[in-house]
Amino acid sequence: MEAVEYFKVECPEEAGGSYYLRIADVVLLDHNLVRVVKKLHLFIDPRIPLFIAVGVTQKLPGIVRLRDFADVNQQEGKVTVSIGNEAYLAPLLKILWEKFGKDRVEQPDRFTIIMNLSSEESEGLEDLPVFDPSTTIYKDLIYALQVIQPEGFKVRRQYYGNGKFYLVASEDTLPENIEDLVREKFALIGESL
Amino acid sequence: MILVPVTYKGGIYRHDEIMDLIEDLGGYIIQKHVIAQEVVLQALVPKDDIELIRRIGKPLTGEIFASPLVGTEIAVVSPSLEIHHLPHASCDTAEYIRRNGAKTNMVGLARGFGKRIAQLNDEERDVINEHDLAVYLLGDFEACIAHKFPVLRRGITVPIVLCGGPSTEVLKSLIDPPVEGYVGSIGRFMHRTKESEELSRLDEIIEVITAVLDRRRVELAKDPLSVSPARLMNVVNEKVDAIHDVLSPTPVTVQMTGLRVKLPYDTFAIVLKKTEIEGGTTIGDVADIRPSRMRDYILIRVKPFSETNVFI
Repeated sequence: MEAVEYFKVECPEEAGGSYYLRIADVVLLDHNLVRVVKKLHLFIDPRIPLFIAVGVTQKLPGIVRLRDFADVNQQEGKVTVSIGNEAYLAPLLKILWEKFGKDRVEQPDRFTIIMNLSSEESEGLEDLPVFDPSTTIYKDLIYALQVIQPEGFKVRRQYYGNGKFYLVASEDTLPENIEDLVREKFALIGESL
Repeated sequence: MILVPVTYKGGIYRHDEIMDLIEDLGGYIIQKHVIAQEVVLQALVPKDDIELIRRIGKPLTGEIFASPLVGTEIAVVSPSLEIHHLPHASCDTAEYIRRNGAKTNMVGLARGFGKRIAQLNDEERDVINEHDLAVYLLGDFEACIAHKFPVLRRGITVPIVLCGGPSTEVLKSLIDPPVEGYVGSIGRFMHRTKESEELSRLDEIIEVITAVLDRRRVELAKDPLSVSPARLMNVVNEKVDAIHDVLSPTPVTVQMTGLRVKLPYDTFAIVLKKTEIEGGTTIGDVADIRPSRMRDYILIRVKPFSETNVFI
């Protein structure tokens, strides 16, 4: 895990901690998240029991807009969208259907969308936000942390945003001062929540 | 005649000669796998005739080696079948034991995860008790193992081999009353077992299981079974035609003290009971025939000589 700037497991049982270091390493590799995570601190205390994972992500790619992957050609109320990268076609179609209705969005072939729009409607179409990579990356990250955490910790709380994330989990009700504990762990990696 | 569990591996060409030879020598073929051009036979053969089989098998590129787990059915118990334990920790261990000749069944507990919330229900308990031995694969933390293992072993009467992340010595110190075997440093992991150190852990599990089963065999030898389960398997295969319609890989599974017959209990319990072994002695005379908790299978438990006064 050379790509990760800070990666530590804190655990009262030395052997258990070292196993979890390996588990976290393997899971992040398997889920292709090594390049996403910048810092990660795991705290596991099986006696309480409690699992806390706090971390910071690398700078994520920005929101994908329509002009990033398609050409928009407007001619007398007829808008032709030529798709360059098919990866974002599905979310784009969903947005267009919601916005203009299915009957106004024609798709003669895989790479072309034709719509009859008024000039007001087609204004700013090129800047339409289509896909936010951070949402799926955070979801993947939280899923990976759930795989890393000891099994059976069914009571969970998770947060992500502003490049930071945390997940706390336990078998029992979470302690009342859980946010203070999370802040303490963030302080260990030199960040604040 | 002492029968020894062995595995024969060789080409498919003329392998029927080896099968005939084993049967002619008085041995029993427990299981036969045909994998592409290769045949793997798991068998019990007379100890003195191993050399003979080796000699005859050599021109057929066959090799024969001892596999002490042939003729046993082992439960590999995992706290759950979630991604935390599957596929690597549980499947790798189960497959390794299987390659050493045992019939393994994986038992994933419905609520075995967690520390305080771990439970074992009656069906799981009964299913585990139908095996010759149970291998428990627990996690990486001492605190968890010490807390949950007493719950998971409640009511289990078969020998237990406990595996977990802490070292073998630590495991021994955690468990009271002691179980039959311990293998440390193999707890929860998320990668395939490829490194030599990990494979040696799996070898250690096989060693411990073998030692535990050997002790059990010595105990059994003091009051031998009225009929060998392998022989009983042959009788069932010969005289109960319906067994040939069963599609399971092992329609009759041999255990150390009995058989699991994969036929419905309601229909076939009476048929089996009345099936003659030899000279008027029926299976019902020398064995208990019970319903299994695993589907609607039949479990045959052979009675010891002291109970029946019959030895076939």
